[in-house]
Amino acid sequence: MQYQSQKIALNFYTAAVVLFLVQVLVGIIAAVQFMWPDFFILNFNTIRTLHINALVVWLLMGMMGATYYVVPEESETELWSVPLAQFQFWATVLAVGAVVAGYIVMGLNPQANTEIFGTRLLNEGREYIEAPRWADVLIVVSVLLFLFNNLMTILKTKKFTAVQGVLLGGLTFLALMYIPGMFYTKSMVKDQFWWWWVVHLWVEGSWEMIAAALLAFMLHKLLGADVKVLAKWMYIETGLVLFTGILGLGHHYYWIGTPKYWLWVGGIFSSLEPIPLLLMVWDAFRTTRETRGVVENRVGLYYTVAHAIFNFVGAGLWGVVHTLPQVNKWTHGTQITTAHGHLAFYGAYVLLILSMIYVTLPSLRGVKEFNQSKGYLAFWWMTISMVFIVITITGAGMVQTYLERLLGLDYVTVKAGYNLWFWIFRAIFGVGFLVGAAIIVKDFFTLGKQPLPARQP
Amino acid sequence: MSTNAAKNLFIYGSLLCFAVLVILTIDTMGTLDKRAPEITEKVDAGKKVWHKYDCIGCHTILGNGSYFAPDMTKATERKPKGYLKKFLLNPRSIKPDAAMPKLGLSEEEADNLIAFLEWTSKVDTNDWPPKPVLAAAAAAGTASTGQMLFRKNDCAACHQIAGLGGTAGPDLTHTGSKQPDIDWHIRHLKDPASVVENSAMPAFAHLSDEEIRMLAEYLITLK
Repeated sequence: MQYQSQKIALNFYTAAVVLFLVQVLVGIIAAVQFMWPDFFILNFNTIRTLHINALVVWLLMGMMGATYYVVPEESETELWSVPLAQFQFWATVLAVGAVVAGYIVMGLNPQANTEIFGTRLLNEGREYIEAPRWADVLIVVSVLLFLFNNLMTILKTKKFTAVQGVLLGGLTFLALMYIPGMFYTKSMVKDQFWWWWVVHLWVEGSWEMIAAALLAFMLHKLLGADVKVLAKWMYIETGLVLFTGILGLGHHYYWIGTPKYWLWVGGIFSSLEPIPLLLMVWDAFRTTRETRGVVENRVGLYYTVAHAIFNFVGAGLWGVVHTLPQVNKWTHGTQITTAHGHLAFYGAYVLLILSMIYVTLPSLRGVKEFNQSKGYLAFWWMTISMVFIVITITGAGMVQTYLERLLGLDYVTVKAGYNLWFWIFRAIFGVGFLVGAAIIVKDFFTLGKQPLPARQP
Repeated sequence: MSTNAAKNLFIYGSLLCFAVLVILTIDTMGTLDKRAPEITEKVDAGKKVWHKYDCIGCHTILGNGSYFAPDMTKATERKPKGYLKKFLLNPRSIKPDAAMPKLGLSEEEADNLIAFLEWTSKVDTNDWPPKPVLAAAAAAGTASTGQMLFRKNDCAACHQIAGLGGTAGPDLTHTGSKQPDIDWHIRHLKDPASVVENSAMPAFAHLSDEEIRMLAEYLITLK
């Protein structure tokens, strides 16, 4: 670590990994509720809201931490204002805490979710963006403060690097795309239309931009690869991500009451979405091969390459299989989507943030060498568990598509009967994932603080 | 390709795609109201109920949501409204094994929510969800008059026979063994509440006596 102010990243990483653990814990409760709906004091809807909101928030916290690390290093200067970053951090933690408390109150007493200024007090009742409007405003303020602080840092030395450009560009795009989710529409069709602007243009647009920028940063940091070559491929990757992803939004507009031409727009563009993700895999392998130097942070590289691979498999392959309207007509609204969601988020973003943590944490803690074995152990516990979780949900989705959509069996019959084994296995593998998550969180808190094991001569 | 060329392609290509998206969005916004019924105050109030109780936390609607409970887009298409209302007010009072808990909806909220769901059922969704292949084939075979009446009145929307059909009402696969008395079935079809307390099934009194007898005869053959 060259700059003291980069240490602010640790605050964000800490909040991120703690929320990661919360996300996995409530995920297991949700998995058990698939078999036993009354298993917990809070109903499934509240548990699921916590599961997906914890995910989004911890990934955002991770991205912010990563950015606070990257920008001073790229700009070769201290952060513009550390107190501002600290304030932004604690304000975000407080707001998130208040939102979570609100969800729990609403879960215990739905009537507490009263109307206030034409919007809901505790839970907006819209998937992923359940946070009430007052919290939306606070989130926007937090992101603006964060962007401002980083922008001022860049302006201090005016070193406009490619990585900074795409990273900050992606974060600005992310902030802007939160706005379409912040107004009420009377029509459920319009509601979902704008809602997809937020959800899709985040995960298949701005977040992938951030991923491409962080990938280039990590490959440079780990391997010392040529910045110019990395920048060129980063531009090609992000260019293709947005070329396929922006109009790929159309694959959400097949069946929600929107005109038929979206079948063509969505079908064609979203079918191309795996291409840039495959390029990123190739990029990671090519860079590793070409820079045959000694890699000190092997576990960091391990996570980085794994992120590229599972981004392609989860977001790319598991997405493209059901993206054509001819297929999606039968699979839309089934567990196939859940399977895709799990592997895509894990590969594209969970592994991305964990890579960034492994790549930057040693220098933040001021160590060069550290015990890497826990990182590998956590990786295999999490990855094997997640792959099996995804296989079970994919199986459930195929059974559901066949029996419910093709044969006309009732939803409840399929869920409670034919798919029961899948739910049981999913919950078991969920516990496996928790083991991996617990190992990595423990490793996060202890990395660089313990003496290294004695080396074999 | 030089780094600069790649950069320009990324910036201008993305802006162009975004511009196309904005144009398509404007065009789409102009067509949406024509593809759905008018939104009355009741429908809007129902949509707010949908949000208030975070229904999307378990259900999907227009195929989007949580996949934990059935899709609600066409919920009112086959299920009787009386049943839906009773279910919304207290699910387990009429279906003891329901996964859905009692959420505390008022009568007015339940009515509004049903109005909202009636609205979504009439949105032009480009024929989604598609009609199941087997259900269409099953309705084509020859059948007794009672069986034909069973299909014509869409009893399978709520009742299952041998695995096919809804789960809102009791499974009828063995109803002839459980209740062999044909007079009971006749009275039940004419006025369910007269023989089953708190029944959520609508009365089929609009059928002729002859039709009701045929239907009841078919039901007692289900052993």
